[in-house]
Amino acid sequence: MRAQLNHPIRASIAHARGIPRGAWERTTIQDRVLILVILALGGAVITVLGAVIFGPPIGDFLGANIPLVRFAVAVTVILLITVPTAFLIIYLELKVIARMNLRIGPNRVGPWGAAMSVIHGLKVLAKEDFSPTGADITVFTLAPVVTYLASVMTLLVIPFAPGLFGQDLNIGLLFIFSMSGLTVLGLLMAGWSSFNKYSILGGLRSAAQVISYEIPLTLSVVGVILLAGTMSLNHIVAAQSGSALDWFAFKQPLALLIFFIAATAEANRTPFDMTEADSEIVAGFATEYSGMRFGFFFFAEYVNVFIVSALVTTIFFGGWTAPFGWPWPITLNALDPLALGFFGWVGIVLAVGLVGTQLLALIVRLLGGREWTWGSSIGLGFLLLLVGVAAVAGLAAFIAFDAVRGLTWFMGKTYFFVFVFIWMRATLPRVRVDQLMGFAWKWLLPASLLNLFVTATAVVLVHG
Amino acid sequence: MLDREVGGLFEPIPPYPPQTERESEFYTLGDGEMFLNLGPHHPATHGVLRLVLKLSGEQIVDVDPVLGYLHRGVEKICENSDYYHVIDQVDPLEYLSSLFQEWSAVLAFEKLMDVAVPPRAEYIRVLTGELLRISSHTLFQGFLALDLGGLAPILYSFIERDEIVEMLAALTGARMLFNYFRIGGVNGDLNHEFLSRLGDWMSRAAQQTEANATLLNENEIFVRRMRGVGVLDRDTALRFGVTGGNLRASGVPFDVRRAHPYSVYPDLEFNVPTREEGDSLARYLVRVDEVRESIKIIDQCLHNMPDGPVMAKLPRLLRPRPGRSWGAVEGPRGMMGVYAISDGSDQPFRFRIHDPSFVNLATVPTLLPGSLLADTMAIVSSLDPVLGGIDK
Repeated sequence: MRAQLNHPIRASIAHARGIPRGAWERTTIQDRVLILVILALGGAVITVLGAVIFGPPIGDFLGANIPLVRFAVAVTVILLITVPTAFLIIYLELKVIARMNLRIGPNRVGPWGAAMSVIHGLKVLAKEDFSPTGADITVFTLAPVVTYLASVMTLLVIPFAPGLFGQDLNIGLLFIFSMSGLTVLGLLMAGWSSFNKYSILGGLRSAAQVISYEIPLTLSVVGVILLAGTMSLNHIVAAQSGSALDWFAFKQPLALLIFFIAATAEANRTPFDMTEADSEIVAGFATEYSGMRFGFFFFAEYVNVFIVSALVTTIFFGGWTAPFGWPWPITLNALDPLALGFFGWVGIVLAVGLVGTQLLALIVRLLGGREWTWGSSIGLGFLLLLVGVAAVAGLAAFIAFDAVRGLTWFMGKTYFFVFVFIWMRATLPRVRVDQLMGFAWKWLLPASLLNLFVTATAVVLVHG
Repeated sequence: MLDREVGGLFEPIPPYPPQTERESEFYTLGDGEMFLNLGPHHPATHGVLRLVLKLSGEQIVDVDPVLGYLHRGVEKICENSDYYHVIDQVDPLEYLSSLFQEWSAVLAFEKLMDVAVPPRAEYIRVLTGELLRISSHTLFQGFLALDLGGLAPILYSFIERDEIVEMLAALTGARMLFNYFRIGGVNGDLNHEFLSRLGDWMSRAAQQTEANATLLNENEIFVRRMRGVGVLDRDTALRFGVTGGNLRASGVPFDVRRAHPYSVYPDLEFNVPTREEGDSLARYLVRVDEVRESIKIIDQCLHNMPDGPVMAKLPRLLRPRPGRSWGAVEGPRGMMGVYAISDGSDQPFRFRIHDPSFVNLATVPTLLPGSLLADTMAIVSSLDPVLGGIDK
């Protein structure tokens, strides 16, 4: 069906519209394969030559500047992981809110609609890059970049797992607060330069809100800094290692509450999403933005959700540490991979693959209904085997490597808080501007000062 | 310089010189004030309402509602159609409660022609009307929450509304513009599908509406946004001629069903819920109470419904004697009235529609000034306007 439709009709439409057929269309399949092979070979030759000629000096330079290399790699990796993170959180939000609203949510693109947010991202890329009449183009263009970079740079100091962090700054927390404070600059720039009254209202709201909530946010973690004796996030995590009872959430519950509320406001999430209150000021600072410029704001918002959740996890819930010590020691008897030899490994893989697939296929065939023929049950059996092997390998990695274990715990806790943010968004209405500001100055600030006072007194009494 | 020129183009100032004193006063900016053009396609203005706000910071100084984007001259169209076809024309005005719009027209015509409606038809009218009232009020709750930033209630409301609308579709054949009431009765008796859907829904309606209301009533943020906002006092409400839930929220127990009884409402037992506060929260809570009363009325209708015909015998061509009549029913938004004058021909000589949303919306310029921009939604939404009816 598709082939019939594809070939003659498309060609005739192209012909009728007078679309000239390019050189690539005129080539045959064999030509195309040949061209690709030549390109690949040429690329490989150039790479090898480049490596031979320029490799040693570059290697020497990199070897002499390890911290610089580490920094560059960390920044690159962090910039790269923000986009999938944002995609994942956007998808989660679509799906979780849909479930809470008794809807189905995205279910057409990819399995369970999982590619929905990727499609959103592509759509945003394909849209026209539009700037309104009367806008200050320079500021208008820079605003999303500032917002995005300010929120992404915060990820640099967050410890994901033992040894897995961008930089271990000794002023980590200060760095985070200063960077997230820069976000407001981008929002204000966007609001001012858009030449739209809704935008300027959104920008001014965000300035007022973020600056007000910065103070209780910062003051609430001073208690944690006093207890941990450091501002480095790595050391704060280390100070909470042990069991769940060592987490600062239990030593500083008031600070946790204040931090969570203030961080929600910092990330402009419901119920404090005043800056983009869609029923009041249309889309706030982002009203006039479209295309990838809007995409940067959108990504920044969801990266912010991730960062805030990661911060709550790191500061109050022990970061990558496990909530409980494992009661008995497990060590993998490390199998020497060379002892088996090549044919030994091939044999094991073949034996496990064939026998496992057959066994699983047998189970599927016996337990499944009449519609499971041998062919389909073998297919499903193979898939199940792959899943099983992956699960075993994952478990082994979880036990064997600290970094994997730490990353798992960290991501688990972080995404729990991401879920809480989505949950709040699905449930709560928005507060009003004056209530928002009143809450910050009348309740959160005194409460955080009280928390600081009590903590400082306790620290002085205990440590003399 | 460019900014100033372009800005002048985009300001929501009328292109003509001020026509009235009020207009010239409104369109003159004071120190530190600015205009904000809210609508006609703003996410929270319920259709095509346009509000020109004069803001000082986030505080509203003055407001000028601009109406008429949906005006189609329905009254004139009705005067050019015969009595049967008027029902089709008035249907899409109040699109959320179209049965009541039909009802007011049909009531006026029946008075004009002295038609006796069979009791079963009257009960069916009350039954379907109260169902639609529940649907409208549930949707009101949802949109109110949506305008305050809550995402969930609107979807729960639409579930309820969908059940009711499906049930009415089984009876009338349409989901929104039912065109069900006729002069002298209704178009068709209750059928099995309607009754089975109704029974299914009634078995959990009370519980479900309570659950939906609890989601908002017990939400601290929602209550704080609504309490003390847009207070409409008793005298102002009466002076403007506000009716319906908005008037009852200001402490006046006026309900057309009780004050000027029509149909079989004198035989039914129900309360007229009132509140004293007159703020947005009171307007919301009055409607939540009205849903409870409507469920009671539906229950009584089902128990008391007599057998018999659903249409009176009427000639093909209606030519009432010259005269005038006023038919008013209590719609979800207030008194929906129709004033019809007959000159003895087969078309109404004058057909005047009194729309409650229009009167209710007229209070907005007195309610809004002094509150914040965010309160605009809490106030306008709690008045529950439907722009189809306002613009006619």
